[in-house]
Amino acid sequence: MTERGASHAITVIVNGERVNRIVSARQLLVHFLRDVLGLTGTHIGCDTGNCGACTVVVDGKLVKSCMLLAPQADGSTIETVESLAADGQLSDLQRAFNEHHALQCGYCTPGMLMSATYLLRQNPDPSADDVRRAIRGNVCRCTGYVNIVEAIRSAVSAGSAGRAAAGAAEEA
Amino acid sequence: MLLEEVEYVRPTNLEDALAVLADVDGAAPLAGGQSLVNVLKNRVASVDLLVDISRLAELRTIKRTPGGGLDVGACVTYDELDRSPLVRESHFTLGEVAAHIEDQQIRNKGTIGGNCCLSDPTNNLPPILVALDAVMNLRSTSARRSVQAAEFFKGYFATALESGELLVSVTVPPMPARSGAGYASLLVAADAKAMARAAAWIQLGTGGLTITSARVALARVANVPVRDAGVEARLVGAEASDAAVRDACSVAAEGLRPIDDVHGSSHYRLEMARVMAHRAVMQAVDQATAGRNGSESARRGGRA
Amino acid sequence: MTITKGPGTEQAIRTWSGRSIPRKEDARLVKGQGSFVDDGGVQGQGFAWFVRSPHAHARIVSIDCAPALEMEGVYAVLTGEEARQQCETPFFAIAPPPGSLMAEWPLAVGKVRYQGDAVAVVLAESRETARDAAERVFVEYEPLPAVVDTVAAADPTTPLLYDDAGTNVVWRGVFDYGDVDWALENADHVVKIDRLHFHRFTSAPLECNGAVVDYDLGTGVVNVMSNYQMPMFASMVIGPTIGVPINKFNFVTKDIGGAFGIKIGFFAQIAALALLSKKAGRAVKWTEYRTEHMLTAGHGNERTFLDIEVPVMSDGTILGVKVRAFDDAGAYLHYEPLGAVIWSQVVPGCYKLKHVRVDYTEVVTNKCPTVPNRGYSRMQHLWMIERIIDIVAKELRLDPVDVRKTNYVQPEDYPYRTPNDCVYDSGDLPRSLDIALELAHAEEWRARQRELGTGSGRRIGIGIGSTLDSGTNNFGQSRIINPDLPFSGNGEAAIVKLDLFGEVNVNIGTTPQGQGHETTAAQVTADILGIAPDMVTVSTGFNQANNSYVGFSGTYASQFAVSGLGAVMGAAEKLRHQIVKLAAYALRAAEEEIDVSDGFARVRGDENRAIPFIGLANMVYANNAGLPAELLSEVDLNARYVYVPPFEVPDPVTKTGNLTLTYASQVHVCVVEVDEETGEVTLLEYAAVDDCGRRINPMIVEGQVHGATGLGIAAALYESLDYDASGQLQQPSFYEYHAATALDIPHVDCGSIESASPFTPNGAKGMGEGGGAPLHAVCSAIQDAVGGDGPVVADSHNHWARVHELLHRDPTASRGVAVTSREGPPRVAQS
Repeated sequence: MTERGASHAITVIVNGERVNRIVSARQLLVHFLRDVLGLTGTHIGCDTGNCGACTVVVDGKLVKSCMLLAPQADGSTIETVESLAADGQLSDLQRAFNEHHALQCGYCTPGMLMSATYLLRQNPDPSADDVRRAIRGNVCRCTGYVNIVEAIRSAVSAGSAGRAAAGAAEEA
Repeated sequence: MLLEEVEYVRPTNLEDALAVLADVDGAAPLAGGQSLVNVLKNRVASVDLLVDISRLAELRTIKRTPGGGLDVGACVTYDELDRSPLVRESHFTLGEVAAHIEDQQIRNKGTIGGNCCLSDPTNNLPPILVALDAVMNLRSTSARRSVQAAEFFKGYFATALESGELLVSVTVPPMPARSGAGYASLLVAADAKAMARAAAWIQLGTGGLTITSARVALARVANVPVRDAGVEARLVGAEASDAAVRDACSVAAEGLRPIDDVHGSSHYRLEMARVMAHRAVMQAVDQATAGRNGSESARRGGRA
Repeated sequence: MTITKGPGTEQAIRTWSGRSIPRKEDARLVKGQGSFVDDGGVQGQGFAWFVRSPHAHARIVSIDCAPALEMEGVYAVLTGEEARQQCETPFFAIAPPPGSLMAEWPLAVGKVRYQGDAVAVVLAESRETARDAAERVFVEYEPLPAVVDTVAAADPTTPLLYDDAGTNVVWRGVFDYGDVDWALENADHVVKIDRLHFHRFTSAPLECNGAVVDYDLGTGVVNVMSNYQMPMFASMVIGPTIGVPINKFNFVTKDIGGAFGIKIGFFAQIAALALLSKKAGRAVKWTEYRTEHMLTAGHGNERTFLDIEVPVMSDGTILGVKVRAFDDAGAYLHYEPLGAVIWSQVVPGCYKLKHVRVDYTEVVTNKCPTVPNRGYSRMQHLWMIERIIDIVAKELRLDPVDVRKTNYVQPEDYPYRTPNDCVYDSGDLPRSLDIALELAHAEEWRARQRELGTGSGRRIGIGIGSTLDSGTNNFGQSRIINPDLPFSGNGEAAIVKLDLFGEVNVNIGTTPQGQGHETTAAQVTADILGIAPDMVTVSTGFNQANNSYVGFSGTYASQFAVSGLGAVMGAAEKLRHQIVKLAAYALRAAEEEIDVSDGFARVRGDENRAIPFIGLANMVYANNAGLPAELLSEVDLNARYVYVPPFEVPDPVTKTGNLTLTYASQVHVCVVEVDEETGEVTLLEYAAVDDCGRRINPMIVEGQVHGATGLGIAAALYESLDYDASGQLQQPSFYEYHAATALDIPHVDCGSIESASPFTPNGAKGMGEGGGAPLHAVCSAIQDAVGGDGPVVADSHNHWARVHELLHRDPTASRGVAVTSREGPPRVAQS
């Protein structure tokens, strides 16, 4: 049993790096990532777990980091948007978002990319409807979702080659 | 986003968890946290100690009971319910309900136990558990007891749980041959909150299409899911036809006064309760007549 | 105005402009490397939390800060009265009296006027402590009756928000064009609609407001790092109040996570934070959370239209409209009553209405202040016009497509002068409509609708929304509200410079929030300087110390393609002239012989005579000995240009004049299915045709169309802000306010035509706000599904219960519309 207390020593692996910190029990994981670790790619868009801007992957599961307390993540492996182009190369999804103009202000984009990444791990060939269901928890106020759906689908069908040709409408 | 000062503890086994919950005033179990963390952010309820039970292996399993029912650990997530072959095979509707709770992130964390124990009238699982006649298994350091789902939900954010007690699992009885379940919601938007909701379970006679037994649970007409005895009485012995079911459901929620809010008046909600009851029962009929647990018809049923 | 083009430029232009090149700004944003307001901070900062009123209307009896100040880690608390004492004057008022008497200070003084009104602000060492301490600032209130009904607010017997003003009416004016009385007397039919109501909602940018404010006591400079979208407006409003001259503001913006006009509204918070920083002697960081945003950041204008009378001829020609409009500004005038004139940019909508009288009243109520919200003030009016078109068609049994085509401003009518002397620059509305109908398969759906008939429990509805996106304001229209205001025209500034190693840098005072300014500015610059957009660095984001700006700088009101790019193009042209002049000197050639391409200036026809940009830059920056003084006086490689659109000052007496430079248009067609039992609406098909003149980057334009469509659909079906009778907001977070998701918004099929604007430097028109077309189209489709004998779709927001009510109307209730006909029995007599 972890010790009962208002602060806790935690160990997490964030984007491949082991991190040890003392956190306050009331600190949300998203504030830990942003304010303590300086990983500001993970955003905050609401205070009720509805918008998904803070979406990250914890132990292989897609979660909203504003709905978890930092001590709950103790021992976990966390992936944030900063992990997607870790080797400096944009991922297929990141590239597709750029090519399909799937972002405008870019504020929802990190969370959206994490949800899309998770989707493609679960389901390598999603339909347009699968894609829409997969990003149901990520609110975008700029794009009407149209180009986001197209970008994710193009990243599916493209692999690395022929991505440019995959501009067809989602219903096609 | 900024919570009040709170303590946190993560017991490594159920016994320890029960002990802490029994010992500490102001201790609350933290499972998926998909509602509780919001409550804490809002600072509307004061909790002194969060007891993290989400990793307790004892609470995370889905098991088949001898008769073909399910025993679902309290910390099984919605996503696990959705993707469980065991659940889909025998209780397709339960899986389908779980599959349409909000979004993937919430389904990955939110648990059946949390959904029930918070007893928020908008929650998805309570009405289907009532309709399926599920049993809530509770434990404390000193005792175990079981409560019928219909008796578990007591009011707005209130349940039958006593201080120091924890919901550890939910037992869902088997679905006999020629029985079926249905679930219909009027949602403010796709997979969002419901304004009206009904869950149904019916049993058809061995020959023909006569309903021999029925359970209909309505949600959003009161603070807790309500078994509608009037509708059930009219359904039993009735033909499982659209007209007969519609007629039986026309008395749904009689005497109840649902809330008025920005989504619709009390009167509208009452009318919608009837529409949802009809749709849920017809889904159940489809499932019962389809043989297995009606996976196909439930899929056709559209929005859960 | 025209941009003077250098030799050879004509040819270069259009090389990059007009192409859908992927955006430059994406590289950082997809990696989570954007720089948003909460991502930064400064040494020693404290965290601020506002203490806000739970009451809609109450007198502040007392404030006790002592318990908060006793807490460990609390630096300071600033109350409303204390803030007021440090202010020289209330915030600048746009309105004349009585509106100008509705004074606002950085924090509430004496009374609170809406739920969420800020009474104090706390500064502490952590976010958590700040919130904890705010809960220990004890405020005693004496509740007053809340004023929530817009129309009732104007009644003299209603309680007052501002005793000094003596009325809740901010501003009232009659806009009277043509002769509507004559038209009503001489029309074949008069269609009378009792009431139309445009609801309150917000585009709710995903990033909430925020700022890091550091009042430097040494220099007197107020450093503001914020996501404010109109920093000059904020500086002009805040400065005189807190006694800081404009040149002592250092307002900086970086990446902004959406704004949609809403981020024009939080100057009061910034003023309070500046005073708090001054008091505490340290920097202040404030991050607004969603609930605070929904309660206080600003809502779109709610408007009620009463007693609408529409004169119509038998052939479907609509002569005009007479209406009383009541607009709800909320509790404070954060940009109002500008909305009371902004709508008049589009008086006749897309149509040739000649006789229009709008009796316009704007009131204050105990609700969140309204601020510009994507489609600001015009979409409310345009929605009313579109409702009128459909209702006229329905009541007179005319085809809504025919009524539109009969009344549209026709392609040959441009430039078209409206009854109030606005000039519609170009367009082809009938063709836009045809394309939209085809994209949405309207004919097939019409057949399907007939096939479905009655009894299936499902109904199909086909709807049309025609709209205008007026862009590049003439701020002189503010004088129609208040003739004493010192504003007119518009403009934007840009600097294009060649840097020391030959880099090309563009510097603009705009505050993009996703509109891709870095990309389109690079495209037009690349064309003029003969290089690739990759070689152009665009520094966007406002920076008062470093960037060039004018009083209108910012990103709002659909104008960047005109004013922003106009400034960039002008500056790039000036730089090109300097490059040519310098190269001619360096290469010993005549200016007429110099070509600029690929990062070189070359002598045409002689490949051995060329000099790279780095060489030219070196000559000016680091190796200038011996350069002729005359050359140095003309060539500094820092070219600033201010684009000023050609405007006259409007006439405040007749309320006429050209109020905007460009008019982009959009025509939307949608198909809905309505569930008769529940009233649920499902969008089956959606098409949008955009005409914003010449498109610099079609992909970005289409993205704007998608976005405006998404928000419009969301508002039409899912998003509404409602107050109960006591003034409590019913949707104070995303838990209650259902921000539409990917499952709610359908795929949008886009079409486009390009009717170049004759009035702009590049043929482009401002766009992006979208004119609320989805609200028009969805209401139109629901009306179609409800059917000919049904009631009027009278609200812009149609949740399921409301649609259910339309479908199952009490047969004795009014349908909300009546028709009277001039001679003989009316063609359709009903009420």
